[in-house]
Amino acid sequence: MSADRAVFVSPTSLSGALEEMASGQATVLAGGTSVALLIGQRLIEPSKLVHVARIPELRAVHFDASRSAVRLGAAVTLAEIARNVELVAALPSLAYAAGVVGNPRVRSVATVGGALAHGDPRQDLPPVLISLGTSVWLSGPGGERSIPAATLATGFMETCVAPDELITGVVIPLPPGQRAHYSRFTPQSVADYPTVGVAASVRCDSNGTITDAKVALAGVASTALTVDAAGLLAGVPAGDADIAARLSEVARQAAADAEPIDDRLGSASYKRAMIAVWTRRALLACVAG
Amino acid sequence: MRLELTLNGSPVDLDEDPTATLLDWLRSLGLTGTKEGCGIGVCGACTVLGDGRPISACLTLIGTLDGVSVLTVEGVAQSEPTLVEAFVDCEAMQCGICTPGHVMAAAAAKLAGIGASADVDSEIRYWLEGNLCRCTGYETIVAALRSYLER
Repeated sequence: MSADRAVFVSPTSLSGALEEMASGQATVLAGGTSVALLIGQRLIEPSKLVHVARIPELRAVHFDASRSAVRLGAAVTLAEIARNVELVAALPSLAYAAGVVGNPRVRSVATVGGALAHGDPRQDLPPVLISLGTSVWLSGPGGERSIPAATLATGFMETCVAPDELITGVVIPLPPGQRAHYSRFTPQSVADYPTVGVAASVRCDSNGTITDAKVALAGVASTALTVDAAGLLAGVPAGDADIAARLSEVARQAAADAEPIDDRLGSASYKRAMIAVWTRRALLACVAG
Repeated sequence: MRLELTLNGSPVDLDEDPTATLLDWLRSLGLTGTKEGCGIGVCGACTVLGDGRPISACLTLIGTLDGVSVLTVEGVAQSEPTLVEAFVDCEAMQCGICTPGHVMAAAAAKLAGIGASADVDSEIRYWLEGNLCRCTGYETIVAALRSYLER
């Protein structure tokens, strides 16, 4: 514990938060589960903490008028996502993933923005958001910008968010004809980080032809891994006789693109084998409905 | 940092290091019912309620608690005697270190309204997930929560 106490502020507006962050020296927290762990393990010793969980703009869930997209404020909690009836219906893979992170105590306070900002490639939500074509919204002194969720993390626990910038929310498109699925593989305890997590989405036109497909994985590289599934599946009828072979091609691609490491959750070669198995299953769940 | 919170129903003004954990602060007050198990939010021994929701006291920074109502096992023992009785009647403990956390998880489950659910057994397991017990095999704890909901 440092002799000098950290400065801790809980702004109640976005502009107030950005002012507090202007020095570029602030550590942002919402639920604080990750930040408290990092402090407890002496990995960080922040001099200033900006608590953003009380900012109303960051707490809203908003479907647009035509229900073509939903915006989640960055400080919406995982429990709120998992138990929101509209979100469960519109985005089942996201609601499922939010409901299996950690345990009820984590989900009470941990937020969607925190899952992204933490930049830990073992987190469940980032690959799901990537598979849903999510944009991440950021605010800073220069105004607002949005980036694809797939480009947010730049390395292990590193993101492109500037020190004076705040993740304010995510916008998730709700295209017709899309099915999505998340598979979380934990061979030991469900309380573990996933050995492999696979998020997939497949979109079909009214004739049942695949027009888009997205696959992203947790736990297999230094960031969430995005696989070019659309390149292998677009234009193929979902009911095609050899659709299973096509899905296996994507699964092989995912295993080839991954850079798994040997750790407590499995050897690299085991993880590579499981990537193929669970990628194929996640895609099959999307195609078979 | 000065902040105000409610602890077991009573208002408290405090001036603490905002990066101290709720767990260390509670235990420094003599409220040692809240246990330190893993210290990383996994085991559930330090479960308390913050505004009615279960939280890990070991992962809760004091600074986040301004205006929050915190309920510990000492508070629940006063306000929910039937919960304590259910755990005793079902013999839902052995060594006891996880018991306060399980009691608090049970309190959170009741507050969430699971008694009215169509599938109470699944809800019980959902709310006890992440509260670890090495002694009982969980069945008596599940039975205690079911019994509490029926009382």
